[in-house]
Amino acid sequence: MRVQNERTVVDGLRLAVRAMVYAVVGGAALLAIATVVSVLGPMLALDLYTPAVAAWWTVFTAVAVQGVPFLLLGTVVSAAIGAFVPERVFTKLLPRNQALAVPIAGAAGVVLPGCECASVPVASSLMRRGVAPAAALAFLLSAPAINPVVLVATSIAFPGQPKMVLGRLIASLATAVVMGWLWARFGREEWLRLPKRKQAATSSPTGVKAFVAGLQHDFLHAGGFLVLGAAAAATFNIAVPRSILDIFTGSSWLSLLLLAFLAVVLCVCSEADAFVAASLSGFSPAAKLAFMVVGPMVDLKLIALQAGTFGRAFAFRFSSATWLVAVVSSTLVGWWLL
Amino acid sequence: MRRYGSAVLLLLVGGAVLRISLFSELYLRYVQAALRPYLVISGSLLILLGLVAAVRGMRQRDHEEHEDHEEHGEHEEEEEEEGEGEEAEHDHGHSHSHGGPRIAWLLTLPALALLLFPPPALGSYSASREEAQRAAQGVGTFSALPAGKVLDISVAQYSSRAIYDTGHSLKGRTLRMTGFVTHGSDGTWYLTRLLVTCCAADATISKVEIRGDEADGAPQTDSWVTVTGTWVPKGRLGTDGAWPPVLKAAQVEQVKEPADPYDKR
Repeated sequence: MRVQNERTVVDGLRLAVRAMVYAVVGGAALLAIATVVSVLGPMLALDLYTPAVAAWWTVFTAVAVQGVPFLLLGTVVSAAIGAFVPERVFTKLLPRNQALAVPIAGAAGVVLPGCECASVPVASSLMRRGVAPAAALAFLLSAPAINPVVLVATSIAFPGQPKMVLGRLIASLATAVVMGWLWARFGREEWLRLPKRKQAATSSPTGVKAFVAGLQHDFLHAGGFLVLGAAAAATFNIAVPRSILDIFTGSSWLSLLLLAFLAVVLCVCSEADAFVAASLSGFSPAAKLAFMVVGPMVDLKLIALQAGTFGRAFAFRFSSATWLVAVVSSTLVGWWLL
Repeated sequence: MRRYGSAVLLLLVGGAVLRISLFSELYLRYVQAALRPYLVISGSLLILLGLVAAVRGMRQRDHEEHEDHEEHGEHEEEEEEEGEGEEAEHDHGHSHSHGGPRIAWLLTLPALALLLFPPPALGSYSASREEAQRAAQGVGTFSALPAGKVLDISVAQYSSRAIYDTGHSLKGRTLRMTGFVTHGSDGTWYLTRLLVTCCAADATISKVEIRGDEADGAPQTDSWVTVTGTWVPKGRLGTDGAWPPVLKAAQVEQVKEPADPYDKR
């Protein structure tokens, strides 16, 4: 009994000493860290907080804030498709023949009024619901480029040039359809990594539960990639001065390629890119058209989102092919129409 | 953290969005005014989703505590697959049942920035990096300006009327404009304003050179001023010579930064 008592006392003492040591050492360390941080922190932060860094943060948060409502719209639509729309609806609506389904899906892009952030989750949920990947990809490309909001914005940005709006519609739709056909012909299933989560989720819980779970997961997932893309866009926005554009305005070929490249790195939302294109004075109409056709289909933010949703192997192959097709189709349409 | 990860992230992002759109007008530093209702709706929806996730996390904990001694690993329902390619190959369902995808933690960056230190509106730094773009439009007549003694006009409006208006609608008017100050190389200074269409990433600039006795003591860069003055014709309309437009200042007044730091289109 006494031995046991002693043991508990010793144990208690040991515990108390150990706790005290932890408290002293840890407290001292914490105090030291707190002092260093509170003294050096503001100095360092002020040093690092140059106008360029401030502008980076502003553009970064702006792209992210701007993307949130559209991303949420896209994930709401995609979660609703995943939870409430039975598979047979799509198999009935779309022709079995892929070559026919692609242009129909491409033209259906007119109905989703949003920018490119919204289209990725929707396309992925379409694929999970049994829509042929080729058709879903055509929808993915055309939706942000040819919806009414974007076309109206384009006509406001180019007053008195209805051909610009028409050219954008035709070139974007053509790119989307060609890419769908290319995927149907050359695409391989193993490049595309579709999240399988939905099948597991929809089989067990009811529609509403699956809807909420899908919404939470899809938003967080896509949101992370949106932030990644926003950081890339802000970096290029700050690092590449737009005055270098003047160097390239001389050659029409170079300027077209340059604007097509710029559309990728600037990540301007598809509802605003017409205004940016219009303000790029000194470029040929075809180059401006290329800027507006490439922008909603290939940009850093979108590549990040696609890599997250469909896998990296897919995103890089698909984005580079889309870029090429978009450049060719806007060159042809620009040469024919503008 | 694993169980409440989704809830924490959703509440953080929703809170950040509501803080800048519902509880203040800070959103105007980042996006255009028309986006406000959508921001408020999405912020509220995210908060709601976050609360649902928190409740689910708590329920799941109770659930796990009850059946802890029975069988482990079976009640990892609603497995969420990780986004990255490498994760997909893993035997998933064990490590991250409700923490949400790992990439989502990047969302804390903009969310905390907005909650704690909202980044400032773009100013002279961005303006200096981009040559002011002239609005792409041809020479023509503009709609008549409203009557009145002193006319408030935006910097962008003034520039396009000064450069392209064959009707000379600015002639003989007293005009008042607000913007921030930028300096030219040879002692000139400009009244500058950025114009945002969708978000700050697409900002374009317009600027007006300020001349006159009042302009001699040029204000500090980035300070906000309201300038009242009259139009000074310069160059031939629609050419590079007409740009940047000039205003003869009668009065220069320091003001506070307006709630909406950007020009509307």
